[in-house]
Amino acid sequence: MKKSHLIGIAIIAIAIGLLLSLSGDVSTYSTFSQAMKSGERVKLVGQLMKDKPVEYDPAIDPNKFSFHIKDSKGVPGRVTLLTEKPQEFERSESIVLTGAMEGDVFVATEMLMKCPSKYKDEEIIIRSKSKQI
Amino acid sequence: MEEIQYIGEHLLPGQIGRLAILISFVTSILATVSYFLATQRRDTDEYEGWRRIARSAFVLHGISIFVVIGTIFYVMIQQYFEYYYAYSHVSEDLPFKYIASAFWEGQEGSFLLWMFWHIILGFILMRTAKEWEAPVMAVLSTIQLFISSMIQGLHIGFGDWVYKLGSNPLLLLRDTMDIPIFANADYLSLVTGTGLNPLLQNYWMTIHPPTLFLGFASTAIPFCYAIAGLWTGQHKAWLKPVLPWALFSGGILGTGILMGGAWAYEALSFGGYWAWDPVENMSLVPWLFLLAGIHTNLIAKITGHSIKSSYLFYLLTFVFIVYSTFLTRSGVLGDTSVHAFTEMGLENQLLVFLLFFVFLSIGSYLWGSRDVPVPEREEATGSKEFWMFIGSLVFLFSAALITISSSLPVYNKIVELFDPTYEGSVIKDPVEHYNKYQLWIGIFIGLFSGLSQYLRFRESNFSKHGKKFLLHLGIATVISGVLTFLASIWIDARAWQYKLLLFSGIFTVITNLDYLISFTRANLKTAASSVSHIGFGLMIVGILASGLNKKWISNNEFAQQGLIKGFSQEQYKKNVVLIKGEPLFMNGYEVTYVKDSIWENYRQFQVNYKQKDEAGNITEEFDLYPNVLYERKENKIAAVNPSTQHYWDRDIFTHIATLPLSETDKEYAKTLEDSLNYVTHYMNVGDTLRQKDYILILEEMKEGATHKDYDSQPNDLSYGARFVVYPKKINARFEVQPVMALRKTLLYTFSESIPKLGMKIKFPNEALDELFVPESELGYESFTMEKGQTVDYQDYKIRFDNFNVEAEHSAYEREPGDVVVGAEMTIFDQQGVEVGKAAPLYLIRGNQPFNFKDELFDLGLHFRFVKINPNSEEVEILIGRKSAEKRRVPIAIANDVPRSDWIVLEAILFPGINFVWTGTIMMMVGLFMGMFARRGRRE
Repeated sequence: MKKSHLIGIAIIAIAIGLLLSLSGDVSTYSTFSQAMKSGERVKLVGQLMKDKPVEYDPAIDPNKFSFHIKDSKGVPGRVTLLTEKPQEFERSESIVLTGAMEGDVFVATEMLMKCPSKYKDEEIIIRSKSKQI
Repeated sequence: MEEIQYIGEHLLPGQIGRLAILISFVTSILATVSYFLATQRRDTDEYEGWRRIARSAFVLHGISIFVVIGTIFYVMIQQYFEYYYAYSHVSEDLPFKYIASAFWEGQEGSFLLWMFWHIILGFILMRTAKEWEAPVMAVLSTIQLFISSMIQGLHIGFGDWVYKLGSNPLLLLRDTMDIPIFANADYLSLVTGTGLNPLLQNYWMTIHPPTLFLGFASTAIPFCYAIAGLWTGQHKAWLKPVLPWALFSGGILGTGILMGGAWAYEALSFGGYWAWDPVENMSLVPWLFLLAGIHTNLIAKITGHSIKSSYLFYLLTFVFIVYSTFLTRSGVLGDTSVHAFTEMGLENQLLVFLLFFVFLSIGSYLWGSRDVPVPEREEATGSKEFWMFIGSLVFLFSAALITISSSLPVYNKIVELFDPTYEGSVIKDPVEHYNKYQLWIGIFIGLFSGLSQYLRFRESNFSKHGKKFLLHLGIATVISGVLTFLASIWIDARAWQYKLLLFSGIFTVITNLDYLISFTRANLKTAASSVSHIGFGLMIVGILASGLNKKWISNNEFAQQGLIKGFSQEQYKKNVVLIKGEPLFMNGYEVTYVKDSIWENYRQFQVNYKQKDEAGNITEEFDLYPNVLYERKENKIAAVNPSTQHYWDRDIFTHIATLPLSETDKEYAKTLEDSLNYVTHYMNVGDTLRQKDYILILEEMKEGATHKDYDSQPNDLSYGARFVVYPKKINARFEVQPVMALRKTLLYTFSESIPKLGMKIKFPNEALDELFVPESELGYESFTMEKGQTVDYQDYKIRFDNFNVEAEHSAYEREPGDVVVGAEMTIFDQQGVEVGKAAPLYLIRGNQPFNFKDELFDLGLHFRFVKINPNSEEVEILIGRKSAEKRRVPIAIANDVPRSDWIVLEAILFPGINFVWTGTIMMMVGLFMGMFARRGRRE
């Protein structure tokens, strides 16, 4: 057998092995009920509920930020994020959280927000020079 | 509808630019076709003719792209907001130095930048490529054809079906938006630009994109050569001219990626240099393919093996550049990347761009590689080439793994097309996921690149050199083992995989160093490879040191105890609250938020770090200056910039995570101020006021006072009240000076606060009448006095003591030619006790007499020095007083004020980060050295 064939076989074997192990790192976005059931660290996607309180008081704890979201099934739930409150949080369209359920609160350590681009909305900035002075 | 005649528009640059855009497209087609024909008829008489046409077309194409870029810059510099591109990327207050950044912030601008580099490289190729010019330039022109279609903005219609080809950067604002403002013929006087995103307003945005795009553009050249080789069937001849281009591209693309990492680390608050974000990954993948290609190219040049692999790798490099362009610009990455670009409706066009080059590559490869010569003899396992080839395969694996994982959103999109109910899947922990696999890539690359340096090219008889090989290898292994052991004391590498990676990094440094010293004998070509591989090893050591030993200094256990019970994720808590002036001990550092200063919309914080030995002596001290950038009009934070203290062996990184809401939200600050309960007290100089927690004494009333928020102007009138405050519970002394200033008819009050006592103090509005008494209400009386004379005025006796030619006055600024004299007066009460001194000023400037009054604030006495008789030395003094009653100044004090003098800080220690930078820079230097070594050898 030629060496190049051996190398080829080895490559294919490694590739299959890697692809199989790759799938273990992948999951679908979870919901509150699934996160509750599994108890594991999951990714949760949802939308901010703007009518519910958003609590952040850095003077008490700069690493505790609470709010409510609706998950992809529309089920509301409470979230505590263990970081500072990011800028433009209220503008977010959708939120992706990484964390686990702790009681009935989803405690997250990471968050990614999708915000509408600042310059996308078609509004025009009018000069705000006051004419009175 | 009636056509509106708009006022003040500049339409000429747009017309020139749009024409140039069209010309650039047409000429790119012409260049493609004629270079294609020149290649096809390269052995006939027609070759010269077609090449001449092609050259002119490409030069014309280049010139028209330069004109387009020039016009866009022109309308941006002139701030012609009638152009959409100027409107959306420039603003009136954008500093000139960011014009270039604003240009390539937009998609169209970055396409133009990309094309610009292709043109420059194309011009070089026309001069140097000789017989390769026609096929190589044919491919390059095709690439230009596709990219220039992205900026056309042409509407192509067949019946009802209209397709918009590209997005034209020189459209007018009123053609891109449909809003009522354009009914106004003078709309331009109302419009101003939206400007450059403040996050991008730094010098990295000036240097990173041009470098990265030169990197992107340069990968096209090996690709063009590969296609050219397959096309013309000269499978060996292309290997030599392509190599310097590939090395150049590797160096530049690598530098571009490196700059991105340095930007993230230095100027953004990501707290790291690499995050395995899809956009970052997809710029790394082409570079990995390119490195694999360079290695197989070297093998192929020497042995004739691996020609097919070289084709494949160079083709993949550029295809993946286009794929990465597609991913980042089409919006398909969506919420998996922080670098998400906005969608522009170019998705389909980008897809066509990608698919064309995918099929071109596959087609050329299948068609052209049939007759690639393969040497009879197989590569010996003991030869250098064999292990270089295995190394290239490791690169291939690395790139493939990253691509598969990063492409998950694409896979989701495709499945969704067929099954709308499909829920997309994501990688749970991206950083961990990528590290897990790339760790092994690092180990193999380190070991192979170390091992193979001792092997020899084209080695057939291994046993002849085996002894020497084993000797060097043995020594290097022992040294590396010892160093790994030492390093693992410093680096917290617990897992054996990390120890192995550390070993392989150190191993490649040692072996390549040995090789550099023992074998290269001042040969630039071989030295280049050693330098690159040493760089790789150092980078590995740096990644491990800074990654595994990365430590949050801002992690105060006392402050956070028991807030979330039983939760094991304490390490995720990265921030602490720092109160101004109050030191906090955290992880060996005493950290103090010293002060902050505001300059326009830029606010800088001074944070002091101290380390002390056991005796309490300061062993190390430094200040860091993290800052925030507020949005232009609103009081909102637009960007946060970190500040880093660099040492040779570690960095201390600091940034502001959050500010109090009252400091970031004007609305909230106003509500807060309104909710304060101010109580007005009436005080005179020397009075004492007792409050619950402190005693307050009015020490002095100052005319022409200063305050940190107050920029005084020449004709302002201002008063400050200097208070001394003694807290009851703690042993301290504070001074505050609230200020009231009158500028023509505008009244300003500047408050002061002592956050520690929760108190805030200011002049209430009614203080206006008490402080700024109109001259007409003073009832001046005139007195003519000579030196030493005393006069009676109401309850006081006033004596004129002396002249003073050096007298000063808070409102007076000396100019050359001034004749100035002060009258020194002493005021006594009825008992003859001195109660004050005054010194009004008399001035002659340019034959005009002026005078500056003096005021004894607590007595309410005003003095004016209006005349002087030089012969008799008599002076005329006006003395006035509003009323005979004792003066009382209203002062408003609020207690229980919420504190706003704190910051939320994140501080991270990065040990060994300089190994990462040194290592990566050495890798690039090695690539460039290789390029220069080979450039000179071209015949």
